[in-house]
Amino acid sequence: MKLAVLYSGGKDSTLALMKASKFHKIVCLISVMAENKESYMFHTPNINITKLQAEAMQLPLVQTVTKGEKEKELADLKKAIDEAKKNYKIEGIVTGAVRSTYQASRIQKICHELKLWCFNPLWLKDQVELLNEVVESKISAIIGGIFAEALPLEMLGKTVDKKIVKQLAEIAAEHHINPAGEGGEIETTVLDAPVFKKKVQILKVDKKTERHAGIYQITEAKLT
Amino acid sequence: MILIISTCKEKLSELEFVTPIERILGRCKTVHYSKLTQKEIDEADKIIISGTALADFDYLKHDWSWLTRFNKPIFGICAGMQAITKAFDIPLRKKETIGVHQVEVVKENKFCNGNFNAYFLHTLTGSDKFETLATSEGIPCLIKHPQKEIYGCIFHPEVMNENIIKSFGH
Repeated sequence: MKLAVLYSGGKDSTLALMKASKFHKIVCLISVMAENKESYMFHTPNINITKLQAEAMQLPLVQTVTKGEKEKELADLKKAIDEAKKNYKIEGIVTGAVRSTYQASRIQKICHELKLWCFNPLWLKDQVELLNEVVESKISAIIGGIFAEALPLEMLGKTVDKKIVKQLAEIAAEHHINPAGEGGEIETTVLDAPVFKKKVQILKVDKKTERHAGIYQITEAKLT
Repeated sequence: MILIISTCKEKLSELEFVTPIERILGRCKTVHYSKLTQKEIDEADKIIISGTALADFDYLKHDWSWLTRFNKPIFGICAGMQAITKAFDIPLRKKETIGVHQVEVVKENKFCNGNFNAYFLHTLTGSDKFETLATSEGIPCLIKHPQKEIYGCIFHPEVMNENIIKSFGH
């Protein structure tokens, strides 16, 4: 089956892509850039990097910009998926959804309307297990955003490794938050993975923090 | 031993519809319906039939009539419930429900009580001849064979109602 991956550039969509590629052919990536920081579906600090990531994987990217307003952004997503269906003859979509029934059900509806299969290979996965699998799968992901009071801002820009996973798991257990960021606590950006033919090298970053939140915005990067 | 029967045409779908059930149950065995042997059926103490992707209807082409001759507990989830209805000649009708909806328990049962939210992902349903244990928006969503320990659940309890699967497993 020819599939497209709904790709945010983070650890989850990269791991989902790797799992799906064991069974099916990934023919393109779809990414949605939300202008609104409060987007219900698509807010990701380094979504601008997906173009480089797609190039690193030698996959075409269907990219769309949405204002990020509730429900309207779904119409924009549907348009992008439909474009991928027409241009790349995809028969289904892969997502990195783990727990969000809000996101999952909306993507399921779009796929149903467009007569496409919908695959969520990380669905209901234990979040610490997921983080460990990211590390074991040799996905090199940095923490690109922190949006939870309990998490130290020093984690910004750090690579998700065994030590960070342990730290995230401990903090999450103590403060009842999601260790893998399923509730939006953290956002990650993948710089390298076994499916990448080239690595993303960060050249310039803009680190911004405000009270208990922070973003590690990659403003300049190249493939090496 | 609990036997999970996968209804997934695509192996990739099993990560979404079978793996979560395995995780909830712990000790169990999984086999795809097309590879199921009489020995596996005989060795099972209980059977759970999984759900599958919304675009998958292959399991409806299969002969599920053996379920009517199985005299131990069976719990069918979504596509699994549809397989049960097929075995018992219950007609399926089109009814699309995707997302979180409220469930109302209408008959005392060992799995759940009161009102609760559940995750639905189906386009077909059917319940004639079976008892209704719970409804959602007036439509049966948890049903039971009038005599046997055979249950059908059109929503996905593995998503928001793990206790239902644990109750069946224990």
